Amino acid sequence: MNSQKHRFGQSAGIFLAAAVWRLALFTLFPDLPDLLTGRVEISTPVSSFKRLQEGLFLYNHNVSPYDGGVFHQAPLFLPLFSLLPSSQSYPIFTYLLYIAVDLLSADALIKIADSGEPGGAKLFKSPRREKRWSGRTVATVFLFNPLTIATCIGRPTSVFTTCAILHAIASAVSAKPFNAVVALSFASYLSMYPILLLPPLLLLCYDRQPGGKQTPGLQFAMKHAGIAVACLGFLFATSFLITGQSWEFFASTYGVQLTLSDLTPNVGLWWYFFIEMFDSFRSFFLAVFWLHLSAYVGGLTVRIRTQPLVVLTVLLGTFAIFKPYPSIADASLFLAMIPLFRHIFPLMRYSFLTGSTILYSSFLGPAFYHLWIYAGSGNANFFYAITLVWSLGLSLLVSDLTFAVLRDEWEVERPEMVGKDIRQI
Amino acid sequence: MPSLLSSAFSLRRDPRILKIPPYLSLVCIVVGVVWLFLLPLDDYSRRTYISENALLPGQVHTYFGGSDQNVFRAYKNEVVASDIAEANNTEVNDKLEGILKGVGLKTGRQSFKYESRSWGDEYEGENLYAILQAPRGDATEAIVLVAPFRTVDGKLNANGVALALTLSRYFKRWSLWSKDIIILLPPDSLAGPQAWVDAYHDAHNPSTVSSLPLKSGALQGAIALDYTHEGRFEAVHIVYDGVNGQLPNLDLINAVSNIAGGQMGMGTALQHMYRHKNNYSDRLQTMLRGMLNQALGRATGAHSCFIPYHVDAITLQPFSANPGSGWHDEMALGRLVEGSFRSLNNLLEHLHQSFFFYLLMHRDRFVSIGTYLPSAMVLAANFTIMAIFMWVKSGQPQPGTKTTEEETTEGDGDKKKPAAHAVERELFLPLGLVTAVQFLGVVPLFLFNHAPASTLSPLFILITLLSPLLPIGINFALPSLSQTGRLTPQHYQLFHSFSLLLLGMFLSTLATLNFSLAFVVGIFSAPLTFVRPVQNVAVKLLSAVVLNALAPTTVILAASFYVGMDISDVLREAAFGWEVWGMYTSVIVWCVWWPAWIIGATVLLGNQSIAKEKTL
Repeated sequence: MNSQKHRFGQSAGIFLAAAVWRLALFTLFPDLPDLLTGRVEISTPVSSFKRLQEGLFLYNHNVSPYDGGVFHQAPLFLPLFSLLPSSQSYPIFTYLLYIAVDLLSADALIKIADSGEPGGAKLFKSPRREKRWSGRTVATVFLFNPLTIATCIGRPTSVFTTCAILHAIASAVSAKPFNAVVALSFASYLSMYPILLLPPLLLLCYDRQPGGKQTPGLQFAMKHAGIAVACLGFLFATSFLITGQSWEFFASTYGVQLTLSDLTPNVGLWWYFFIEMFDSFRSFFLAVFWLHLSAYVGGLTVRIRTQPLVVLTVLLGTFAIFKPYPSIADASLFLAMIPLFRHIFPLMRYSFLTGSTILYSSFLGPAFYHLWIYAGSGNANFFYAITLVWSLGLSLLVSDLTFAVLRDEWEVERPEMVGKDIRQI
Repeated sequence: MPSLLSSAFSLRRDPRILKIPPYLSLVCIVVGVVWLFLLPLDDYSRRTYISENALLPGQVHTYFGGSDQNVFRAYKNEVVASDIAEANNTEVNDKLEGILKGVGLKTGRQSFKYESRSWGDEYEGENLYAILQAPRGDATEAIVLVAPFRTVDGKLNANGVALALTLSRYFKRWSLWSKDIIILLPPDSLAGPQAWVDAYHDAHNPSTVSSLPLKSGALQGAIALDYTHEGRFEAVHIVYDGVNGQLPNLDLINAVSNIAGGQMGMGTALQHMYRHKNNYSDRLQTMLRGMLNQALGRATGAHSCFIPYHVDAITLQPFSANPGSGWHDEMALGRLVEGSFRSLNNLLEHLHQSFFFYLLMHRDRFVSIGTYLPSAMVLAANFTIMAIFMWVKSGQPQPGTKTTEEETTEGDGDKKKPAAHAVERELFLPLGLVTAVQFLGVVPLFLFNHAPASTLSPLFILITLLSPLLPIGINFALPSLSQTGRLTPQHYQLFHSFSLLLLGMFLSTLATLNFSLAFVVGIFSAPLTFVRPVQNVAVKLLSAVVLNALAPTTVILAASFYVGMDISDVLREAAFGWEVWGMYTSVIVWCVWWPAWIIGATVLLGNQSIAKEKTL
């Protein structure tokens, strides 16, 4: 407890600076929140703040929020946001809520960074782990990342998912498997895809158990999977009750993600592909795309069994690229995890290329979107081309990180190869 | 394949490969510039053509003429008598509204008031407009005829207003319109049309611009009349530059030029090239003038503010190259407008077939984006190449020095292979400096858009004098911020690398939005590619002089001196453009060009302690 206080004292300055900076952006540029809320890079059909307002309006007027097919978010957001004063008349409360969520996420990141898990997992201790960044630095990188700030100002509901995922991981590394599974259940309830993180998260929980009480693996997994199911069941039941005792929300939230019925452009790869698709192939390719997304879970969990935190990070990166409705919020979550692996930065080979690609695409993206939508002198292909470059940048980062991790392991196995170039045979 | 790969890898380690990028950069710059100068040649430019078949330019008889000339004279007398130059805008509108109502049109009025300390005067006035409802349409589409009381030069546009009134009376008699026709009579060319278009699209600020009482459908095109020429004229000057260098669809210009040339026997001119001989130098000059207008991004006529709303618009300006020559009268201009409106009336969908990105060099020669964009892109690529080069270079161990950031885990035996693993870079200071300088650009931007008009030129002089001092100050202050208390060559390489990377990125993004501005900034920034921290005092001094001559502030001063404008007028117009038109040229100058220059100068004046050991 004492150490926690100490930690908070150290990072209070950063938290304060981040909060003030965000509040300043909110209040000094009153048009900015609405501008960013409308950007397709930030707000997707399943996370948009504008759509949340629509759902909220219907909910407060005792109409099913899913009528009209605009609102696709989890039902529990509705009572939460109904408690807040209206975001139109008193926006400050909404701002404070979103700032608080960002700070909570940063707090979880500090816990993860300071746990020593990134370089020193139970089954693999990296020889380079001495070189690491403190939790404060990691939190600073997260809080002052322009993508995180833009996400906070744009107020998509994906920040709640981000926060829940980070807290799940933080609880896992602090040997609180129950909390971890509950947090992940919340994340899955809000955005569905985090359920795919359950296997590596359980491994992480298992590895971080305090030395004394080791339960058999299968029993541990069954127990905590059971907790997840129970927790999700509870959340679904609550949702069922607050949406007028109907199961309609399943089809409107998870159903939309599964069938991609809203084809609003976003930074991902799905929308353009499914616009072009003939209807008869649609269901087949939906299955293929989802299979592709979930296929990474098994493979990575088995291959990098020794470092579950790496698996979680790589999976978050993969999801930021390949999930149905990605936004820069997902990229900012992935980028928040990268500084945890400071020790393998020297092994990454394409950091400059990756950085430039992401930088270029984040400037060219809005420009091309402007040419397409406003100036009318471009077309959809312009924007899609840039989202491809964006995804390329992210996938370079994912593969580069994976390479660095594997090389780190490999150099422990083969000490004679340290510092030598690998060669494809 | 593996052997090929490994030979590629060994090539990567070859020290000679690191010598290439500076030359490659130079080649990029040269190619970019030469490319531009090749464009006017017949082999690289194309003849214009009408791409949208529905336009059918010049395929209809135009009947404007005869007794309408008497109507025109009567209206002109009315307009002159109402003294639009002096009288209160509202009083004039009272009178003109009566005329328009008399013709049988619905009219509306809109007041606006733009004021800011930065441009001194306030722009206040009232727009008058009338809507001719289409006999065969359903008010979903409209064409606009604009006749401001005053042109961009501030001249009285009595002929233009009278002609617009006459045309409205004439158009009302025809039953063939399938799109509404809006006659817009703003008091000036710069603020009035902008207020009207903003309000038409509900994008206005209600506190300064009032809403429109009457609206029609989506605007399909607009033609503005700038008719200050008295007596007969020879040809028509087509002005087509929009705000921020956006251009109308090429089909519109081609159609009007086709109707003027083919049907009326009237010449057309572009970019004030009244005597165009269609040879290389005239074409080049037309193109460069067009690029300059595009780069400045300011409004060049009442049509300019329509273009950002994706409404294709041009201004028609009758002229005589030789005073007194020419045989066309106001009826001919009226018929040109009639013909153009008949063409626009034919459109089944928004003009989209032809180009939005082009450079015109003669009324029937142009180059399209595919042909000219590479020159700006190659220019921007030069910065990126150097940024990558500087990054790679910064990762190499500095010979003869002990860098503090050695990899802790690497064994000593591997140090002999320098290129295999890069030394670790101290990233924090370079990233911080480049970010800070980038954000510092907001300060002059804010100052010039908010300071009172009278202080603008002293402020500019102050910034001009401070800019060269800033790099010296940075070089003085930075070493204390560094971990080691001194700056290494690696620091300077990283400053340079990040700054050039940002510049290259901004310029290539900008090139897709405003090619000319990207090209101009790119040309002036080209020397920044080659700056190095030199130790030789004479060379350093000489380079500093050259760099200061190409500083954004110096260039702006020199340019305003060259065109004979006072610097305060330039700044006032920039502030006005930013506030009213949303012109972003000043953003590019202060937040892209200026920071890049500051970092470039910092690198040039760099005083790296390592150099004393003669390692460079």
